[in-house]
Amino acid sequence: MDKKYGVYICTGCGIGDVLDTEGLCGVPKEEGIGVKTHPFLCGKEGVELLKKDIADDGINTLIIAGCSRRVNFDVFNFAGCIVDRVNLREQVVWSHPRSEFPALTEEQKDDGEHFDRLQMLAEDYIKMGMAKVEKIDLPEPSMLETISKRILVIGGGITGISAAIDAAKAGYDVTIVEKEASLGGNAAKIRKQLPNEDPFESLIPPIIEAKIKEAEAYSGIEVKTNSIVARIAGQPGEFTVTLKKPGEATEFDVPYPLPDEMKVDENGKELDVEKLIEVYNEYNKGKKDILTLDPDGELFGAVILAAGWRPDKLEGKAFTHLGFGKLPDVVTNYQFEEIAAKGKITRPSDGNEAKSVVFIQSPGKGDDDSDFDYTGSVTSLVALKQAQYVREDYPEGKAYIFYQHMRTPGLQENFYKSIQQDEGIFLTKGDVISVAKNGDGLIVEADNTLLGEKIQVKADMVVLAAGMVPATVDDPVINLAYRQGPGFRDNAIFNEYADSNFICFPYETQRTGIYAAGCIRRSMTIEESIEDATGAALKAIQCIESVNRGVAVHPRSGDMTFPDFFFQRCTQCKRCTEECPFGALDDDEKGTPKPNPTRCRRCGTCMGACPERIIGFADYNIDSIGSMVKAIGVPSEDDYSEPPLRFLGLVCENDAYPALDIAGMNKLTYSADVRFIPVRCLGSVNVIWIKDALSQGMDGIFLLGCKHGDDYQCHFVKGSELADIRMKKIGEALTSLALEEERVAQFQVAIDEYDKIPEIVNTFVEMVEKLGPNPFKGF
Amino acid sequence: MADKCLVEPNLEFIKEVVGLGGDTLKKCFQCATCSVVCPIAPDNKPFPRKEMIAASWGLKDKLVGSMDIWLCHNCGDCTTMCPRGAKPGDVLGAIRSYAISEYAVPKFIGKAVNDPKKLPVLLGLPVVIFLVLGFITGLLDFTPGGDKIVHSNFFSSWLVDMIFVPLAAWAVVVFGIGLKRFVNDMHENAVLEGKTDKKKLEIGGLIRGLFSVIPTILKHSKFSECDENKERATAHLMVFYSFIGLFIVTNIFFVVLYVFQIHGPYSQMNPVKWLANVSGIALIIGSALMIKNRMGKTDQVTSYKDWYLLILVLGLGATGMLTEMTRLAGIAGLSYALYFIHLMFVFHLFIFLPFSKLAHLVYRTVAMAYGEYGNR
Ligand code: SF4
Ligand code: SF4
Ligand code: SF4
Ligand code: SF4
Repeated sequence: MDKKYGVYICTGCGIGDVLDTEGLCGVPKEEGIGVKTHPFLCGKEGVELLKKDIADDGINTLIIAGCSRRVNFDVFNFAGCIVDRVNLREQVVWSHPRSEFPALTEEQKDDGEHFDRLQMLAEDYIKMGMAKVEKIDLPEPSMLETISKRILVIGGGITGISAAIDAAKAGYDVTIVEKEASLGGNAAKIRKQLPNEDPFESLIPPIIEAKIKEAEAYSGIEVKTNSIVARIAGQPGEFTVTLKKPGEATEFDVPYPLPDEMKVDENGKELDVEKLIEVYNEYNKGKKDILTLDPDGELFGAVILAAGWRPDKLEGKAFTHLGFGKLPDVVTNYQFEEIAAKGKITRPSDGNEAKSVVFIQSPGKGDDDSDFDYTGSVTSLVALKQAQYVREDYPEGKAYIFYQHMRTPGLQENFYKSIQQDEGIFLTKGDVISVAKNGDGLIVEADNTLLGEKIQVKADMVVLAAGMVPATVDDPVINLAYRQGPGFRDNAIFNEYADSNFICFPYETQRTGIYAAGCIRRSMTIEESIEDATGAALKAIQCIESVNRGVAVHPRSGDMTFPDFFFQRCTQCKRCTEECPFGALDDDEKGTPKPNPTRCRRCGTCMGACPERIIGFADYNIDSIGSMVKAIGVPSEDDYSEPPLRFLGLVCENDAYPALDIAGMNKLTYSADVRFIPVRCLGSVNVIWIKDALSQGMDGIFLLGCKHGDDYQCHFVKGSELADIRMKKIGEALTSLALEEERVAQFQVAIDEYDKIPEIVNTFVEMVEKLGPNPFKGF
Repeated sequence: MADKCLVEPNLEFIKEVVGLGGDTLKKCFQCATCSVVCPIAPDNKPFPRKEMIAASWGLKDKLVGSMDIWLCHNCGDCTTMCPRGAKPGDVLGAIRSYAISEYAVPKFIGKAVNDPKKLPVLLGLPVVIFLVLGFITGLLDFTPGGDKIVHSNFFSSWLVDMIFVPLAAWAVVVFGIGLKRFVNDMHENAVLEGKTDKKKLEIGGLIRGLFSVIPTILKHSKFSECDENKERATAHLMVFYSFIGLFIVTNIFFVVLYVFQIHGPYSQMNPVKWLANVSGIALIIGSALMIKNRMGKTDQVTSYKDWYLLILVLGLGATGMLTEMTRLAGIAGLSYALYFIHLMFVFHLFIFLPFSKLAHLVYRTVAMAYGEYGNR
């Protein structure tokens, strides 16, 4: 595209009052680029002006200096034009009052001593905007040749069936894969179900049968029982799926990556590449490589993972004090439900009636008051439900619930209230210390109860509130033919639940196109699972339709760009394949990455990782950001007797950049010597930008992004964590150059922590000022 | 050890407390708001939350012998603040009723007092006794005549005393038996739950405790600590003092009659008569106020027991005063009839005192004395 540039400076919103507009206009003029100012650019007249220039003068590349790109993006959106927004409002004038950053008097101008920090900041930002647009192009969508709009649902329990119905209602064809011989899952194995509608007070008969019938009525829903997924290959829009019978071995079973201990020889030395391939092939003997597509495989557009849960087996020593495994009348809630579903509640030991039952919600012992693993509000509710069974079966029955946490969220509180009213149900908080034999019954002892220090209760049976273990604990389930492995990676921080962010992105797993719902995400009631299924079905549909338009699904929904690789220079280092948080890249046997654009979330982590710097996006690449860095003016002693230091801040555009804007809106002030550049994710920061900035004479560089670690907030899961590792490495390199490693830092900020911005920025600036200027300045 | 902490819910107990006006007890979810707002509860092991959970678990032994249920003055602050509508104040009231019938023997009388179906029998009882004894002894004269109305001509003072002196003794004995068990239970419970620093119960100390709580009781200072049922304090105070007044008057009458052989009715100028009249009027106003307060409080449960007692007290005062007024007005027939009814009320008061809610005056006093003694 032949670019015709135009710079437009808005003087409204206080910009014109603070800055020397004429001086700003001088920047593009010097480059021979046309520039116009307007007092109210986002107003009707202002936009007309822009449209007129586009139409009459053929301007197609606009640098609009005014408000932040986070506002008025719809106003300044012109078809076929590249638009860059220079943030003079939030990050220049609103955050830097003239009272602290005074303008120059007539005498001070050009005296070689004084300078106007604010004007310098604004001029740099305009230069950076101009440099950027020169290096970027309008993106074009990446389209698949053919696209399948079918949805694969893994799991035929209440969640899977509900998701299938929702998707079918929206007009999509669905296939449900169920490993058992019939649909229904755990929801079909219960006596009664928790209330699912107003007034949420009493138990209802299970609804699963009705749901199965409802699903059967849709011609678009195909059910495959006795089936599991052997492999899912390809990418959203064209997943090639091989199904098989449980236990069967096929050549399209997915190969597994080598476990770490097999990657070394007997002396612990790492194997070389050839040997590695040999071991790998041996390890996966009889299985086709991930890049080989099953010619008989079925095509699907997206996958809903509703594989559900299995009851926790409560193995090991941790539960011996509760008599579990030793006393036959101590059972799990699941076993109790099985007994209840069969008929009256009787004791496993002798078949006698169990009229006094103790329900234990937390294993107790020591200071730990946590519940059993993989529990949640549903296990509290199930205890209430099962207590009711005891009362249903025996009018003189007694049910006791010992809990540390009684969780009855939402309207389930009504259920709790109604159960509480039952004269024969007794609840108390307390630490259960032991369950022991007492005659032909049991005796339960608890401490710190609401009734007193120590109490004992006689019981015929004891029920432990064991958790609902997600299927992903035992098995990858999805069996993806991805180079990074068949399941979710580093999933231990989610206790193996299929998740990618506990708070912000439900349904979204670490793999694009795979949407989790129900108890595979966390323990849930049937009611919650049904609602969850709707969410995942909508996500699957969004994915298919985004792929259909060649745009990203999430979190950069609608983004048309995708990473481009200049393969001629690829050294097959595999860094991009390994570091991509979403497993979007598969390398071939030589190690050359194979992009899968519809798996990609456009985070740019691969671009940050590539040592050859051959990965980039149409509107975001090594060169575009590198040129912005180079456009920053670094004054030296040649310019002023005491030149200001210069800092670069690379800020994550998801959280940190908005936080900066909000700081400006709240008139919070910070150093005017820092130049901020928004990046897609800290993971996309390539160290070359930092090296360039330092060699250019900049004095300090910091990254500002999301929290990383177990409770990360990174929108791209691993971006900020990878950046942290890279920054640590760069620190080592700096030391070898006799540069203080403190000059490069990374800080974490959440979107609501805008009030911390001034402190973060100023502390860093002051620290570097103490170190003194970059010794390479001026070279 | 094993026995002490073994808890066995008593479903019957729960049902009974529910029937006595504690039907909300299972609503409690142990937030402890009530214990925090209660103006009377001490900081150490405060009530009424622990009573609420003990009640919902049907732990009868923990409750009937607890002094805390008596320390509560049913001010209702907790009931107003409880987020669950569990009405702890009312539940404690129901538990108190239960405790009274638990300690008063023989139990069937307690049951009868609490059973509306038994009311006709209870009403008939004094009538039958009066008539039978009156006829046998000839001390009941349905044609008293004379130009002055003298009630003892109709219902001889000998007959009155023949009936009421043993009745008073009965009340004392029933209370005595109940209190003995109550005090022991209360001490055991307090030691078990760490509500006292005394290991062994000493009667001397308990009596000293009794003397030190008397000013508190006379001033009704516990009542005025409450917010919610403030207006109740006045009514209660009036009824309370009028009973004391009438108690004194009755004793004077008794002494004067037997020692000085002087027969009533006294002149209206006599200070004893003043006390009697003032007390009578206070009793009527006080009990009427109580009834009005009860009716105004729709959120507070009023059980049959409550009504029985309120009407008994009001009737006692009203028939007493009306008897006197009709006597002064010279309406002989009516006055004698009213006197008869008045004596029926007095009969009920005496015989059922240890079984009815009125027994609280004894139990609460003793519990407060124990609390004082045991450093609650
Ligand atoms: S690292 Fe990010 S941009 Fe690169 S392939 Fe993976 S998802 Fe796409
Ligand atoms: S990181 Fe760059 S050089 Fe390495 S494999 Fe990927 S594209 Fe090739
Ligand atoms: S305030 Fe109500 S719910 Fe809370 S502990 Fe007291 S009685 Fe129970
Ligand atoms: S009724 Fe009053 S005195 Fe009794 S427990 Fe409640 S707040 Fe305390």
